[in-house]
Amino acid sequence: MIWMHHAGAPGRYQPLDDDGIKQVHETSLRVLSEVGISVPDPETAEVFRQAGAHVDDELNVARIPPEVIAEKVKSAPTEVRLCGRDGRCDLDIQDGNVYLGTGGTALNILDFDSGEKRTAKIGDLVDVARLVDSLENVDFLLLPTYPNELPVEEVDVNRFYTGLLYTGKHVMGGVYTREGASRVIRMAERMAGSAESLRERPFISMITCMTSPLKPDPHYTRLMVDIAREGIPVAVPAEPLCGATGPVTIAGNLVMQNVDSLTGVVLAQTANPGTPVIYGSVASSTNLKNMGYLCGSVEMGLLNAAGAQLASFYGLPYYATAGATDSKTVDVQCAYESAITSIMAALAGAHYIHDAAGLMEFAMTVSLEKYVIDNEILGMVMRAVEGIRITPESLAFDVIKEAGPGGDFISKNHTVKNMRKEHYIPTLSDRLDREEWEKSGAKNTLARARATVRRILDSDVKEYLSPAIKAELKSEFPEIAV
Amino acid sequence: MKGDELLQEIELNVVQGRRNSSDEGLDEDLSGTPGVTELVEDALNRGIGAKGILVDAISSGMTEVGERYEKGMYFLPDMLAAAETVEAAMEILEPYLLKAGIESRGKIVLATVKGDLHDIGKNIVGLMLKGTGYSVIDLGNNVDPDDIVSAVVENEANMLGLSALLTTTMHQMSETIEAFSGVGFRDKVKVMVGGAPISSEFAEEIGADGYGKDAFEALKLADDFTDI
Repeated sequence: MIWMHHAGAPGRYQPLDDDGIKQVHETSLRVLSEVGISVPDPETAEVFRQAGAHVDDELNVARIPPEVIAEKVKSAPTEVRLCGRDGRCDLDIQDGNVYLGTGGTALNILDFDSGEKRTAKIGDLVDVARLVDSLENVDFLLLPTYPNELPVEEVDVNRFYTGLLYTGKHVMGGVYTREGASRVIRMAERMAGSAESLRERPFISMITCMTSPLKPDPHYTRLMVDIAREGIPVAVPAEPLCGATGPVTIAGNLVMQNVDSLTGVVLAQTANPGTPVIYGSVASSTNLKNMGYLCGSVEMGLLNAAGAQLASFYGLPYYATAGATDSKTVDVQCAYESAITSIMAALAGAHYIHDAAGLMEFAMTVSLEKYVIDNEILGMVMRAVEGIRITPESLAFDVIKEAGPGGDFISKNHTVKNMRKEHYIPTLSDRLDREEWEKSGAKNTLARARATVRRILDSDVKEYLSPAIKAELKSEFPEIAV
Repeated sequence: MKGDELLQEIELNVVQGRRNSSDEGLDEDLSGTPGVTELVEDALNRGIGAKGILVDAISSGMTEVGERYEKGMYFLPDMLAAAETVEAAMEILEPYLLKAGIESRGKIVLATVKGDLHDIGKNIVGLMLKGTGYSVIDLGNNVDPDDIVSAVVENEANMLGLSALLTTTMHQMSETIEAFSGVGFRDKVKVMVGGAPISSEFAEEIGADGYGKDAFEALKLADDFTDI
């Protein structure tokens, strides 16, 4: 069944109180106006100047006053619609809605046959896209793997083409070259029929990370400005890591994430006022032993949940990160880390939560089995987000009266009528009694997930592009390798 | 509507668990259209034989329901909703079946044993059996062994189903079976037992004829005992 994504009562988990939000906000404004942002290149300096920031050419720093932040936040849309290929998979990124999907970009995959880690190829993206298309609780495909065999200038078109060929869900992705990003947009316009129809129903969107601390990467900043000028939705998350590229305290790291992502919003809104930009967080913590990046820590859950409160405070659509793991194999750690951070971000009302399926080992590796396991986790998470419906029907006085003392509810129409919408029905979890479970081969979760992967990949291949458009695209974009 | 179409419509409404026009249906909202009881009346009025209705519409509907359950599409409450439609249909069909000399599939006495008030499982078994055309005499819960034996003898039942939820009451099953010794009807009745603490080993130990882990196994046992 299809679960409603409109959260009944989102935002129920709130790691910050109102005063906490205010203090993070005020500290962020001080950092933006007093410390300032490193200016990556002359092209971006111009955008900062145009925005109203004070650019110090000697120090190469842009100080952004509070009124500029206020103006640019106001110019950004409160809601962004990320479309699927038809109307069924559209995502309205705004308060009240929670969506969870894949993330990346991983360089490796756990080989489905050998279980060994190896570098990912374009064919692996085909498999993941097909899985995501079938998995009912994964709401979007954020292009999760990097095709290592292709030259970098061919990567963007190939990744988006593969995603768009094999799933009807929204496709978002990081981009690697300016020319590649531009070619992806031209390709999507051909699929949409025209440049305008792609803007009306953007079934692609892009991510350009704002590098922390306070030091945007010139390459990604230019990419972001290009995409904003094209009017294609762009997420501008920041990824400060506690104790490494941001303060070790959660509040301090939150300030850093807020400052860097707001800078992205300022640049995008200056480049193209009103363009769909998505504020975001990829903030996380580090392994204190070696200051290495972590993606499965509970602190990451805290940071990304609090980010939802900040986004809501600014009235910005929010791109969050949760649901990945640092485990190297599909094991118990894999499931508990994924479940804990996913549910924290989702219950906080984060709008668009990426990395929530398939991703492991410091976000460097994906596993096909993990997509299937995470699909189950996400189903349960969304049930929690939906909360408890209160209506005369759900309060059930009439059926309590009908059953009476000592009666049962098993055979009541009320039960039949309500059970499917009130209860998440698992597709992977084992609820058999021991005897039946033994009879069906005594399979553990991993074995059952493998069977699901096999079933989906062995089924008929569903393509979302007609043979005619495929042929047309392949002649126009000869780099297409799938 | 032609006769064949009417039978198909009855079958569909059994699968949808709709007794009458006010019921919604499991997959889609069908309320307002006739349910099983109205359709069965209509079929009888058109002169369609009761046996045909039973075999070609109702039983085939329950077979479909069973298949959906096996596939995981239906849950226990769906099965019971369907079984209730059959129970309602059987009430209408019974006099016609009797007139035509068609007997019920078999007669079963059900009871939850002495000292035990937990009878939901037994009630489900009763519903499922009624819903597949068995005649069911339900004695309720906390029933004394002698009362159970008398009911079996008086009704000339060919089956007895006993349930217990507690480890402290399960031994009452054995007491009940032993209570037949003074009456001599034991060879004419097949005894099935069930309930959370019961196992097939226990059933064998106390001299029962079968153990059903759930209502579906109980139904299979009943079919075996009745040679269907």
